[in-house]
Amino acid sequence: MYSLELRGATKRYPGGGAEPVVALDDVDFAVEPGEFVAVVGPSGSGKSTLLNVLGLLDDPTEGQRLLDGTDVTSLSVAQRTAARKESIGFVFQDFHLLPTLTAVENVALPTAFDPGDASDRAADLLSRFGLGDRLGHEPAELSGGQKQRVAIARSLINEPAVLLADEPTGNLDTETGESILAEFERVKEEGVAVVAVTHDPLVEGFADRVVELTDGVLVGGVPDGGERADEPRPGPETATAGDR
Amino acid sequence: MSRADPSTPSGLAGRLRGWGPAVAMAARNLRRNRVRTALAVLGVCIGVLAVAALGIFGNVLALGAQDAIGDIGTQVVVSPNADAGVESLSDADVADIRRAVGGPAVVPLHSDNAVVSGQSAQQFATIYGVEEPALAFEAAEGRLPERHRQGAIVGAGVAEDLGVGPGDTVGIGGAQVRVVAVLVESQTFSPVAPDDAVFLPESAFSADGYGRVLVVAESGEAARAAADDIRAEVNAREERVELFELVAIVDEINGFFGLLSTFLLGLGAISLVVAGVSILNVMLMSTVERRQEIGVMRAVGVTRRDVLRVLLAEAGLIGAAGAAAGTLLTVLLVAGLVVSTPEVDAALALDPTNGRYLLLALGFGVGVGLVSGAYPAWKAANERPVEALRS
Repeated sequence: MYSLELRGATKRYPGGGAEPVVALDDVDFAVEPGEFVAVVGPSGSGKSTLLNVLGLLDDPTEGQRLLDGTDVTSLSVAQRTAARKESIGFVFQDFHLLPTLTAVENVALPTAFDPGDASDRAADLLSRFGLGDRLGHEPAELSGGQKQRVAIARSLINEPAVLLADEPTGNLDTETGESILAEFERVKEEGVAVVAVTHDPLVEGFADRVVELTDGVLVGGVPDGGERADEPRPGPETATAGDR
Repeated sequence: MSRADPSTPSGLAGRLRGWGPAVAMAARNLRRNRVRTALAVLGVCIGVLAVAALGIFGNVLALGAQDAIGDIGTQVVVSPNADAGVESLSDADVADIRRAVGGPAVVPLHSDNAVVSGQSAQQFATIYGVEEPALAFEAAEGRLPERHRQGAIVGAGVAEDLGVGPGDTVGIGGAQVRVVAVLVESQTFSPVAPDDAVFLPESAFSADGYGRVLVVAESGEAARAAADDIRAEVNAREERVELFELVAIVDEINGFFGLLSTFLLGLGAISLVVAGVSILNVMLMSTVERRQEIGVMRAVGVTRRDVLRVLLAEAGLIGAAGAAAGTLLTVLLVAGLVVSTPEVDAALALDPTNGRYLLLALGFGVGVGLVSGAYPAWKAANERPVEALRS
C-alpha cells in the first residue's frame, strides 16, 4: 500500500477570465513508505499546489486522494486537521518556527494542546538531529541548518507516514543543504515517505525517484512508471502496512 | 489514529485542558511587543478606572443623600380629608388606623396654634396634644415620658428662639407650663414640623378630634405597607383621610441618584468601549503580522479551536491585566480622596456596596478584552492554512 496516493487528481482555480486555471491536470502520484521522491518543475508548474493537495491543506477539484489506503479526498476541516497532525509532517523553505518558542517547544508544537507532555520525545528527536545542546534555544539563536533540523524534528513528532518538504534546501548553503538531505535519508530509512518539491539539483541527487511537473501535468508519478493503481499493489511494504 | 482522537477527554476537565498551554503561549506572544501590549493594557486600565471611579462616585453621592434624608421615609402622616368634609379624626378613626397598620406605632396628635412666651421672647407656635411622645420623637435634653401627663415638650427651634431648656417655664395661652424636655432637631421636612411646635398632654385639649395621626414604622418598606393598608381599610368606603408619605419623596430622591449613577457609569463605559476598540486594533494587527505563524500552527495539526483559544487568551490577558490595574488604581484613588478630603465621609467610601462597582468594572474589563478579541481570533483561526502560508 502506498503511504500517500493521488488518482486522477485535478485542481482548478477560478481564473481572472472565463477559463479556470488548471494547476493540476489529471495527476497520478504515489509514494511508498521509505521512498524519497523529488518533484521538480519550473516555477508556476503547480508544484506548490501538488504539495498542498498531498498535505491535506487543499482539496483536489476532481480525483481521489488516499492516505495509507484510506480515502481522504473530501474531509471536514477538523478531520483534515486531525489527519495532518496524525500522518503528515511539513518542512518549509523558511523553516516556519514560532519565534517565541524554544527548540523543544517548537518540536512539540503539534502536540502542545494535547494531554501529556511530549517534551521528552521532542528532546530525543532534537538529540537525534544533533541539537541536544540547543534544546532551550529560541529560533533566533539558531543557524539556518539548525532551524531546518528543528523543523524536521517537529515534522516527525507524531510519527507521520509522510514528510512533505517545500524547497527544504532553498535557504541553505550547499554544505548545510547536503547535511539536511542526509537527515531526510535517515528519516526515510525509518519507513517514512518523503516528498520534496524543489528547484535544487542537489535534492534530485538524494532522491530515489524524480518526477517532473510541467503545466500541471506530472510524468512518472507512480513507482515503476506503472499504470494507475486501482488496487493496492502487493509489494515489499505490505508487511508493515498493517501497523496503521 | 488513537492519539489524536479529540473525543477522548470529555466534560469540563477536557474543555479546560486546552486553556493551560493556550494561556502560556498567549503570554509569550504578548511579551513580543511589550510597548503595544502595555498601551492596550493602559487603555483598559483607564476604562476600568473610569467605570469603577464614576460608579463609586455616584454610589457615594446616593449613600450620602440617603444618610442626610435619614429615616423620614419611615413616617406616614395621616390627616383628615377636608375635601370630604372631615374636619378632625375621631377615636374611632384612630382605632381604624391602628387596626389597619398592625405593627407600627400610631401616635394621634391634637393640634392648635398659640403664642408661646419665654423669659424674654415670644413666638407663634403649633401646639400639639400627644399622649405617647416617645413613640415618635427623641429628646435632646430632658426625658420623654412614657405617658405625657404634665409639662411641655419643646421643639428644638422653639427652645432655641425662646432660650428655654428643661426646668424652665413657658407661657402658653396665658398658662405657665414647665418644660420637661427639648426635642432633637429634626433633619427633614415633615408636615408635623416638630421643631416649631410645643407638645402638651392630651388633657390640655378640650376638643375631641385629632388634627393628625403619625404612623411610625421600622423601615421605609413597612411605612409604605402601612400607608397602603390605611388606604385600603380606612378609606375603603369614603376618602376620610389624606396620607402624606415621606417614603414617596425618598423614592424620588433615590430614583434621581439611580439615574445619576447610571449616567456616570455610562460615561465610564464609553472609555471602556474605546479601550475595547484599541484591543481590537492590537489583535487585528498582531494576527495579520503573525498570519504565517498561525498558518504553520494550523498546518502542523493545531486545531482551529486551539488557535482561537491562544488568541482569545491574548485578548483576555490584556483585558484582565488592564482590569486588575484599573481596579487597584481605583482603590488607591478612593483611599487618597478619603485621606485628603475631610468632607468625604470615610464610612461612605468604605461602604460594601462600592465593592459592587469594583467587581463590575473588573468584569467589564475582562469582558471587553474577550469581546474585542473574539473577531480577530475567529478570523485568524478560520483562515485557510494554504492562504496563510502563501503570504
